[in-house]
Amino acid sequence: MATRPIGSGAEAELERIREGVPHGRFPAHVFNDQEIFDVEQERVFAKAWCFLAHESEIPNRGDYVTRYIANNNLIVARAESGEIHASLNMCRHRGNMMCKSEMGNASHFRCSYHGWVYKNSGELVGVPYMKEGYEGRLDKRDWGLIKVRTETYAGLVFGTLDPNAPPLDEYLGGFQFYLDLYLKQGSSGSEVHGPPDHWVTETDWKIAAENFSGDGYHTPVAHQFGFNLGYFASSGSTHSQGWAASIPGRGHGIGLGHTPGFPPFAGFPEELADEMRRSLSPEQVEVFSQTRTAVGTVFPNLSFLMQPFSIVPGEAGVRFVTMRLYHPIGPGRTEMYSWCLVPKDASEEYKREAYRAYTLAFAQAGTFEQDDLENWARVTRSAGSNMARDVEFPYVMGMDSVPDPDFPGPGHVVKPYVNDSNFRNLWSRWSDYMTGRE
Amino acid sequence: MASEKPDRDTVLDVTDFLYREALALDERRYRDWLDHLADDARYVVPLRVTREGQADWEVSPTSRIFDDDKRTLTLRVERLETDFAWAEQPPSRTRHYVTNIVADPGERADELLVSSNCLIYRSRGDSIEPNFYSIARKDTIRRVDGGLLLARRYAVIDQSVINGHNLSILL
Repeated sequence: MATRPIGSGAEAELERIREGVPHGRFPAHVFNDQEIFDVEQERVFAKAWCFLAHESEIPNRGDYVTRYIANNNLIVARAESGEIHASLNMCRHRGNMMCKSEMGNASHFRCSYHGWVYKNSGELVGVPYMKEGYEGRLDKRDWGLIKVRTETYAGLVFGTLDPNAPPLDEYLGGFQFYLDLYLKQGSSGSEVHGPPDHWVTETDWKIAAENFSGDGYHTPVAHQFGFNLGYFASSGSTHSQGWAASIPGRGHGIGLGHTPGFPPFAGFPEELADEMRRSLSPEQVEVFSQTRTAVGTVFPNLSFLMQPFSIVPGEAGVRFVTMRLYHPIGPGRTEMYSWCLVPKDASEEYKREAYRAYTLAFAQAGTFEQDDLENWARVTRSAGSNMARDVEFPYVMGMDSVPDPDFPGPGHVVKPYVNDSNFRNLWSRWSDYMTGRE
Repeated sequence: MASEKPDRDTVLDVTDFLYREALALDERRYRDWLDHLADDARYVVPLRVTREGQADWEVSPTSRIFDDDKRTLTLRVERLETDFAWAEQPPSRTRHYVTNIVADPGERADELLVSSNCLIYRSRGDSIEPNFYSIARKDTIRRVDGGLLLARRYAVIDQSVINGHNLSILL
């Protein structure tokens, strides 16, 4: 995809931003800025591997969902061969949308304008009045749906518009170690509980991506009610404990919150915990058994959170996993997709309990979620004000933290959990993309 | 299952009950609102998905925005009673417009199946752009000594992509 040039002043400003990040400085205005948004669309979202869907959303041949990369609506379908294909949701004839629904099942898509028919893999197979109208001048092989490159990891389907993007494994760069906590719950892995919550927020995607890349700092304040009423198994005095892990140069980061005395794998059914002890690597078991909360972001548009929530004050509660996709639709505006991931082989009872904990805490009406979005909407609003154009935020927390030598997981891993280390890495990566260094 | 259409007095009682329940929400008398609920009440807001007309479902059989009972609704209310339920600081101004009330016999002799439309206007802070939620409700309302109680609310929002950056109100 061709990239539009921007002015030299704007290029210099982006260079300045990039230089500030290692020194712990990042400007406020990027969180609500039309020009930044426009450049991001082309330089970040059209270049990076963007999360599209979880394979369990399209388990059967013909299943499809429609999702976005930047402002491009894509059909993500499981073809008759079982392979997953992503295609631009636009008829090659005159550009009508092929799929108008969010999900469904179809072996073929027929355009509702002039009737061109494509296989769900994107090949053009039917053209009305082919002989009478086109007189042999149209070769169907040349006019399939526009394809988007996809790769998968442990059920996650990613797409990129950049043919030169590195393979997904390299892009993830070792972050898979941490993703497995969400994706390999039990030997059969995880699946979505159902279709995602889907809502529009007055929040810039970067605020959410940063928060989910390990913001343990906000929790005792933003979610104070959970601590105060005893529904969340942590306390203000120990909440800083844990680790911030990031993959240098990749932008991915995860916060691993630790509660002293919280039993390993508490909140999971025992048989599931045993299965994870067997199916995960010893290093992963060591890390995850000390983890109460795991909150991580895969740059740029995918986040996860695993934590317990209890409806009985003071108890460990039930662990649930939420998976997020951020679809930026304007400066300071984002469409949120939120799923609950459950272990495929777990009991129906645990799946139900985990899903209820998710809806109560972190779905769009969730008690934790509500407070985050309220704060983020205010951050976004402030970031768009004129005076904010000259304001930088401090990202100096944990600047002198040295990597924890005893930690068995990959990446740059520091203590405590309350740390800006992951965010400096995130904004460095963002700045790399914004300045064409991806 | 009783098959007779509820009489006029019953319909009036149900209408009055739904209006008072909505008033408790709009006046933020959350404990009063909880008193409108049976102890075994279920409060379910399913997820709507945009699908083709021929699809087997368009309201998800499994995905929920709210999946609450009286215990968890009480938890939500306890939260609102703290000083740090930030989503409602300052509180949303809501107005529940309840119309098109149709009462039919329920599954149990003491219950009615009540359909209604509910339009919620929600105003936040100094924003001049309100959120609107258009909702189809299917309530189960139970007759008890001294009045009526909400035994089940099943409320479907008409939008598949919900506006409003959070859903910190009750429907």
